[in-house]
Amino acid sequence: MSPAARSDLLQGTLDMLVLKTLSLEPMHGWGISVRLRQISGEVFEVQQGSLYPALQRMLRRGWVRSTWRATEHNRRARYYELTAEGRRQLAEQVAEWERSARAVDRVLRFAFQGG
Amino acid sequence: MAWHHELRAIGRALVRRRDDEREMDEEMRFHLDMETRALERAGLPPEAARRRALRAFGGVERYKEEVRDERGTRPLDDLAHDVRVAWRALRRRPAFTAVAALTLALGIGATTALFGVVKSVLLTPLPYADPARVAVVWSAWKGYEQTWLSYDEWEGYRARIPAFRDVGLWADGALTFTGGGGDVGSERVRAGFVGANVFPILGVTPALGRGFTAEEDRPDGPAVVVLGHALWQRRFGGDPAIVGRPVQVDGEAVTVVGVMPAGFRLPLDYGGDGPTEAWRPLATDAAQQGAVPGPAFPKNGMSHGFYGVARLVDDAPAAAVAERANRQLRDFVAGLERDGVYPPGMEFRAYAVPVEAQVTGRVRPALLVVFAAVGLVLLIACANVAGLLLVRGELRRRELAVRVALGVGPARLARLLLAESVLLAAIGGALGVTLAVLGVRLVRHLAPAGLPRVAEATLDGGVLLFALAAAGAAALLTGLLPTLQAWRVAPSVELREGGRSASVGAARLRWRQALVVGEVALAVVLVTGAGLMVRSVRNLLAVDAGFRPDGVLTMQLSTPSTWYADSTRVAAFWDELQRRVAALPGVDAVGAVRLLPLSTEMGDWGLQVDGYTPPPQQGTPGDWQVVTPGYFEAMGLRRRAGRFLEPRDALGAPLAMVVNQRFAETYLAGRPPLGARVRVNGGPPDAWATVVGVVDDVRHNALTREVKPQFYATLRQFAVSPGNTMRTMSLVVRTRGAPTALVAPVRAAVRALDPRLPVSEVRTMREVVDASIAGPRFAMALLALFGAVALALSAIGLFGIVAQVVTARTYEFGVRAALGASPRELVLLGVRAGAAQAAAGLALGTALALVLARGLGSLLHGVAPSDPVTLAVVVAVTGAVALAASAWPARRAGRVDPATVLHDA
Repeated sequence: MSPAARSDLLQGTLDMLVLKTLSLEPMHGWGISVRLRQISGEVFEVQQGSLYPALQRMLRRGWVRSTWRATEHNRRARYYELTAEGRRQLAEQVAEWERSARAVDRVLRFAFQGG
Repeated sequence: MAWHHELRAIGRALVRRRDDEREMDEEMRFHLDMETRALERAGLPPEAARRRALRAFGGVERYKEEVRDERGTRPLDDLAHDVRVAWRALRRRPAFTAVAALTLALGIGATTALFGVVKSVLLTPLPYADPARVAVVWSAWKGYEQTWLSYDEWEGYRARIPAFRDVGLWADGALTFTGGGGDVGSERVRAGFVGANVFPILGVTPALGRGFTAEEDRPDGPAVVVLGHALWQRRFGGDPAIVGRPVQVDGEAVTVVGVMPAGFRLPLDYGGDGPTEAWRPLATDAAQQGAVPGPAFPKNGMSHGFYGVARLVDDAPAAAVAERANRQLRDFVAGLERDGVYPPGMEFRAYAVPVEAQVTGRVRPALLVVFAAVGLVLLIACANVAGLLLVRGELRRRELAVRVALGVGPARLARLLLAESVLLAAIGGALGVTLAVLGVRLVRHLAPAGLPRVAEATLDGGVLLFALAAAGAAALLTGLLPTLQAWRVAPSVELREGGRSASVGAARLRWRQALVVGEVALAVVLVTGAGLMVRSVRNLLAVDAGFRPDGVLTMQLSTPSTWYADSTRVAAFWDELQRRVAALPGVDAVGAVRLLPLSTEMGDWGLQVDGYTPPPQQGTPGDWQVVTPGYFEAMGLRRRAGRFLEPRDALGAPLAMVVNQRFAETYLAGRPPLGARVRVNGGPPDAWATVVGVVDDVRHNALTREVKPQFYATLRQFAVSPGNTMRTMSLVVRTRGAPTALVAPVRAAVRALDPRLPVSEVRTMREVVDASIAGPRFAMALLALFGAVALALSAIGLFGIVAQVVTARTYEFGVRAALGASPRELVLLGVRAGAAQAAAGLALGTALALVLARGLGSLLHGVAPSDPVTLAVVVAVTGAVALAASAWPARRAGRVDPATVLHDA
């Protein structure tokens, strides 16, 4: 796999995971990164900074919107939340992911039986 | 929609740039703080926690850049940067920028102005419903290519041409409005007399009130009128309650039933005579005068005196239906001829012309030629600016080489150079639109009266869009070559060569040389067009019209039957008016005539000529002119034999007739014309007139049209045979002074005699003649203007290239001078640099001109498109200009001082 294709795959997955995280509750960037580490069990390893270009892209496309709010420790932070368009995107990406996962699964099982 | 959202987001990002930056900083700082604190809580010392947080984040600056990229404003930022750089570059060289921008402004402005005219005249649809399905119906027969319909033909077409949904008739004339709207005096306006179905056929409903009903369109029907919008505004103050009210028309009370919308015109109102402004029912009594009601035809087809307009059926594309209608008309007429309605020798035909072709057909060639010419001017302007930019490119090679060496890619380089062209074109375009405003005014001023709708030409949105497109094309055309040139810059060579490269030129000059060759060639084409038109107009002006137009004032007057019941009273009015005008100081002769030559087309009248038998199936038609004694002297006709008509040719005197030379040659060949006897059909059976004089042919219908047999009778005697009273005539006054000085005194004389009579069409005969060749003159004036501009631009181009060559070869010239070359030899060397291009351009241009001049076709008179004299003169003139443009900068070569040059090297 070429580096470019690998990064595309990573980026797509990152987008989906961020959307999934935000679907639970609005959150700031650091919070998202903590949640990503928790739920992926440290398997999904990216530099934390790469989250921000992804968030900016989603802002531009209208999948998320952002507001400045106080945290529970009374610091100003930028919170992101899903828009209706973002929810639609998430559903689509999850469906797409599951379809390809099933396909890969079938291929692997067939290869195993055939081998 | 996603793209829609993105555009808004990018727009917001452009505006919020500074806030976005601040918020991004704060957001990332917050992230690092939180991460650091979390690591501290996990037991790391503060310093180590901070380092680990930074490492986990990745490069802060790198991600900031990535975020900036994701805002989507990057291409715009780059563009803004390039434009700023280009602007600074242009500002550093104000002279270059001014010349380039003005050159483009000239090209774009002229093209835009002409496009505005083309759009208004040719592209804007006529104000009818589905104008493509409105057609004007014409008759034609031997000697008449386009003439009127008869009542019976109209009935026949209505019943027998299925491609016509309906056919209507109208006639034109004039109405005199008196009294009524406040204190305005009497006013005579052109008027249409329309069948009740004409407005519905055109698909136009009145803005106020209604059109005419079938009951009103009958002889002796109710007296009603529909007003034109302009007349309604002008004379009745736009009174909305005018409908239903009586107004004074031709001395009687007529009820206004409607007002047409602004801009409404009858299909033939776009010509030189100006629009009709009021309409009354046609109410033809043709049926009572011997026409056969219903589709049956009387022998000879009856008198032709109506215009016809048809609405085509809509079961197929309009063009196909028009073709079908013409086929059906041909078949129908062929049937009539078989039935003996028309004699075969008459060669009667009928045809329909779509109204758009009818309105613009005559001017289309002239306008398209001029528009093509202005396109060439724009091309030359672009070539010139491209040449200037190439020179700048030469001077900037080092700068560009440095940029390439620093890693600026070809796309970025192209953008940088194109930004300069775009900026120049934008400035040129803005100036050009300003020029176009003046240009449209100039064209409106120069335009012939027959150029329809030119008065409506403005710079509207469509025209501005065109200007934008022209500017865009100019940007591309001018930016292309400099970009190609820059792409070939090799930094390794360029930066090693050092400051002076002895080889500047040769290979790299080639593009500029090609441009100059093209410019000179296009200039030759334009100047040839101008030259041909000048010769053509000179030929037209040299045509012997048969009268002396200088020193003649004319104006039209009408004597309505309400106030002048019969021909005796009309003739008495003209006698008295002529007596009073003749008494004015400076007046040499005065008379009146039915139709001014070169102004209104003349129809013919059937005659019998004693001793002449027409060939089988042909009549003896004569164009009929009715005059008062004095007309011949006033118009300056030349007598060939006998005498002019005189006051003694009055009521009760023997009927006298003057005929033209063509008449004598055609009908009186081989015998003395004087004393021949002629009878006008329709008059009393024994009313034979005697030919008392022969005059030289007057080119009545156009300077270039064939003259037909024509006869002149006096107003008084024409009222006896055939029995028509001329109600509208033109007064013709010959003076030894300036004709316009007589306008006020003559008007006063008319007013003193009968203040109710309005005067219209006040023109000198010279104006009438000029207007008749306005089309070729218009093309000539504009082509001459564009030819001059093209010549000037290509001269500038040549000047530039020779100057560049001389500069580049200064060192070489210095060496030659040191070795003993005379200044003259050096100047010749410099001139030679431009001469080659000029010669190539002249040759190419001559070849192009031979092909393109054919497009002038119908505009030319008495000169072939490939006229060798014109081409020789054009080549000589263009060559001389090219030589001068080369010699000027080449003089510098002769002044090269070897000591300075060699020392500097």
